[in-house]
Amino acid sequence: MTSHPLYGTTAVAGVGLRQFKRGAAPLPERSLLVEAILDACAEAGLDPAEVDGFVSYGDDKNEPVRLMPDLGTRRLSYSAAVWGGGGGGIAGAFGVAAAAILSGQASAVIVFRALAEGASGRMSAAVMAHHLNDHLLAAGLVAPAQMCAIRAQRLFEHHGVNPALVEDLVRASYHHGRTNPEAVAYGQDFDIETLRTSRWIAEPFRLYDCSRENDGAGALLLVSAERARDLAKPPVYLLGCAQGAEAGWGDLMENDADDLYATGGFRAVARDLYTQTGLSPADIDCVQLYENFDAQGVMSLIDHGFCTYENAAEVIRFDNLIAQGGALPVNTAGGNLAQGFIHGIGLPIEAVRQLRGESANPVAGARTCLLAGGPGAPTVSSAIFANAVL
Amino acid sequence: MNHRLDGADAPYWQGLEQGRLLLPRCAHCARWAWPAGHRCAACGHIGVVWEERPLKATLYSWTRTWHRFGMTESLDVPYVSIVAEVADCGVRLMGRMDDPAPADPRIGEALTGRIDATLVGDDRIPAIIWSRTA
Ligand SMILES: [Zn+2]
Repeated sequence: MTSHPLYGTTAVAGVGLRQFKRGAAPLPERSLLVEAILDACAEAGLDPAEVDGFVSYGDDKNEPVRLMPDLGTRRLSYSAAVWGGGGGGIAGAFGVAAAAILSGQASAVIVFRALAEGASGRMSAAVMAHHLNDHLLAAGLVAPAQMCAIRAQRLFEHHGVNPALVEDLVRASYHHGRTNPEAVAYGQDFDIETLRTSRWIAEPFRLYDCSRENDGAGALLLVSAERARDLAKPPVYLLGCAQGAEAGWGDLMENDADDLYATGGFRAVARDLYTQTGLSPADIDCVQLYENFDAQGVMSLIDHGFCTYENAAEVIRFDNLIAQGGALPVNTAGGNLAQGFIHGIGLPIEAVRQLRGESANPVAGARTCLLAGGPGAPTVSSAIFANAVL
Repeated sequence: MNHRLDGADAPYWQGLEQGRLLLPRCAHCARWAWPAGHRCAACGHIGVVWEERPLKATLYSWTRTWHRFGMTESLDVPYVSIVAEVADCGVRLMGRMDDPAPADPRIGEALTGRIDATLVGDDRIPAIIWSRTA
């Protein structure tokens, strides 16, 4: 038990997710977002007009004030976004929302991300536009896949992590997606040969090493823990949240510290998260892991202390990563690879469903779930959720 | 107008235009400071001096790009992009490398650079092309 102000003092009371094939959303982007917010409020049994705060990340284009007419918002008192163009800020958004609630600046805060190609364009292009400069262009480096590929190459070639490890992470994701009716991989038997024979994108990445974008929107309603206990769904508590970067990591044009270069950038964030909560990797029952690219997912698991460069092969094994008996179930709805990719917003939603016992791949007795944001981003973040204040 | 002259790294681009690799170091404690900034956090001094470095480096990491991404139209795929650690200063630069195919680049191998350009739209961006040191 810890006395940290974030520990168990706020909770997710409702979630909403609308997901479609890229370019195939039946509604405009903002309408998708409104629907997801209405779903989240309906789950909680809270009037959407009572939502008074909004937090997003990743350069979302939907300024909260524009949602007011549709939601009937009576008073917008808080709107904020975590800096950064990628998915690094996703978990940090919950920390920002909780800070607003705990400091009395808002009482019912929606954390959201909405993305439809028609309105926001390709997400990968938008993320890169956030970072592009002439140093990158001169080197022919214009896409997140390439930037992450260079880090992955060093992980494999210099640090000696077996490149085949990523296959277990990918297989576990598809295994979970196969039984999730909302997943892009629902009902599909995934053959690892599909990955092995898919076309090269940027070595060491083939097409199936990369997450592929969907259109859609996701929303999670965060309120005080006290208020959550009066709402319709069982509360899923935020136990802790950390974001940012340490010296030697950041937007450094590949000049990160040598011992941080082939990481996801989470070492300091993970350290702070465990210190804040008094928890350790052994206390984590499942993980929702942002895998923009599979190798970055491996780095993220290493950064959060689940394994090391040296023993990664012992931990990152298919049998160990699945909900059915694995010690470290990862991406139990399929994750960005097999559930679908709306800039990662599906991951906290699965964390909540998992902790309510609503997952398509329930983890027996799961009490805690770690959410790791977009690895490799200059600013990253992680959070721990739980279905009881431990 | 050349937008590359707007930033703290303007002397780097001007150097490449003149056929030289110039990198910044703190005018007080001589620490190499890349990306180029305004203040040396190690000693607190404001101001850098730009020094020429030879086009010698070791390969820090690499990727070979096969997918035709937008803005790379002037480059034949596949092409190799690298992070090169410049000799005797520890500064890492992004650049391109002559593809050693059918072999792969090797992390740690010695590189020699030449200054060329990458065409992006109508813009000729100065670029360092590295190759295996013979
Ligand atoms: Zn100095």
